[in-house]
Amino acid sequence: MTDVIDRDAAAARTVEVASAAPPRRRPRFGRGRLATLAFVVPALGVYLLMVILPSLQSLQLSLTNWDGISGAYDYIGLKNYQEILGSGRFWNAVKNTLILGLGSAVIINVVSLVVALMLDRLTHLQGLFRTLVYLPSLVSAFIMATIWKYVLNYNFGIANTALRDLGLPTWVRDWLGDSSIVVWVILFIICFTLGGNTTLIYLANLQSVPQELVEAARIDGAGGAKVFWNVTWPMIAGAVTVNMTLAMIAGWVIFDQVLVLTSGGPGFVSETMAFFIYKVGFGEYRAGFGSAAAVVLFIVVIASTVLANAYLRKREIQA
Amino acid sequence: MTATEAMVLPKRRRERRKWTAGEIVVMIVLGLLVLAVASPVIYALLNSFRSYAEITKDPMGLPTAFTFDNYVALFQRTDYAQAVLNTVIITVSTVVLLVAVVPMAAYGIERVGGRTSRFLYVLFIAGLMIPFQVRMIPLVKGFNEVGLYSTLTAVILVHLGGAASFGILLYCSFIKGIPIEVEEAAHVDGAGRFRTFWSIVFPMLLPVTSAFVIIQALGLWNDFFVPLVFLDSSSAGTINVAINRMVGLLTSQWQLIYTGAILAIIPSIAIFGAFQRYFIKGMSVGAVKG
Repeated sequence: MTDVIDRDAAAARTVEVASAAPPRRRPRFGRGRLATLAFVVPALGVYLLMVILPSLQSLQLSLTNWDGISGAYDYIGLKNYQEILGSGRFWNAVKNTLILGLGSAVIINVVSLVVALMLDRLTHLQGLFRTLVYLPSLVSAFIMATIWKYVLNYNFGIANTALRDLGLPTWVRDWLGDSSIVVWVILFIICFTLGGNTTLIYLANLQSVPQELVEAARIDGAGGAKVFWNVTWPMIAGAVTVNMTLAMIAGWVIFDQVLVLTSGGPGFVSETMAFFIYKVGFGEYRAGFGSAAAVVLFIVVIASTVLANAYLRKREIQA
Repeated sequence: MTATEAMVLPKRRRERRKWTAGEIVVMIVLGLLVLAVASPVIYALLNSFRSYAEITKDPMGLPTAFTFDNYVALFQRTDYAQAVLNTVIITVSTVVLLVAVVPMAAYGIERVGGRTSRFLYVLFIAGLMIPFQVRMIPLVKGFNEVGLYSTLTAVILVHLGGAASFGILLYCSFIKGIPIEVEEAAHVDGAGRFRTFWSIVFPMLLPVTSAFVIIQALGLWNDFFVPLVFLDSSSAGTINVAINRMVGLLTSQWQLIYTGAILAIIPSIAIFGAFQRYFIKGMSVGAVKG
């Protein structure tokens, strides 16, 4: 999770950084541009080989019936895409991805903002509490999910044991095996956090809100809630854009929790798109089909990032 | 004397601010929230000191004796030690290689100027929107073809490519702020471009580098998906992969899984503890700028 968030911390800012770039000036010294370009070569080489080339190859493989093992495959046109769009299992994965991705983005942002507002109120020991709040997010999504798997175990998990001891045996559920609730249980586990990076970004932005504005509003007789909605909220609109975009990009590729907690089960009920690609590509020996699903995921990520950014930025300007 | 006083004064004033009831309530609420969110980890920690029989007989019980039997058993009965070593190798090599090539590349991109500069920048940044899943199947195919599949090298290379985009973005925005005149002076003094970069520019990038290193180190240490895909059973895997295998194989060894989970968390906390200052600063600066 940390990885995804941090790696993409950028994506959200890309637009702005790119547009704010001052005109580049070539240095007056130096023996030509080739020497300068040589600096880029090692990183560019790895990047092209590890990111750009395989991504393009995904496009190519998505048009084949490759099984992932044998050396030979045939081109079958758009058949994989046709099958995907007609597959109930795939649409279920899309639905789960939306619930988990969008749901967790909204919930984690609300939680983080509330926590950041609380931290911002502290005039003593703020650093200590900031560290405390951040600590739980050092635990990887994988480890957290693994522990939860045992906490929610039907027979010996502490959750069901506690319910039985409290005299609520009817509340006992097979949390990860009941197809009517399993996706919501996963959502709960993903959102069981204080936000970590998201909170830090909100806190930094809250602290850059000019105190004069807040005081002026207070003098004009605005109460706490009014100050928040009319002064603070518009001032942190940029942070909301960044955090929502990041959370969504992370949300579209939710994988660890699903693999650990349910392996997509029961049946295919709790599969996400990322899990679907992994399962189909490696587990069911349909690499061509999995590649087509990967291309669809790529389109979804690009489209939602651009749309969300456009919408949230518009909100910023109006505010 | 006066200067010191002037510097200390604002701080003192803040320290004298009164503790309000509201503030104490906020602190209690925050403390409870942290405790709640950390409760699964605390539960795992407690159970790492219990036996399987104890855990299943009384899931809510506390450890009766703090013995490290499970910790010893974990290393004796599984490949955990090798998995820890693999994780360390992957994390350290990737971070070192990233710091060796990414700042240099960002410097090249910024200083080459013109359309080339713009093109290279956008090319790298595009990678931020390419999910790992999109490139994973062809990468497995490629590594199989060159015989690198299920090696640590494969995992490191995949991580390098994945982290390059974020690194370029981070470093480029900082290099923009470094005046070219400094480099020109070094050049006049006879330093080559390569030396100018490593002895003049790179030291100035230290604040970004520390933020970049800690962000990447934590991400690499905690990663699960990449090693899961690129390391098969011929390798001991990374810590997370090893734990995932234990979940499947040692179905009645909950205590070992709890123990493994706790051991996986300790280094993250150590990395964070050691570089906390840089980390929070880096996150905050980047965030406000954004």
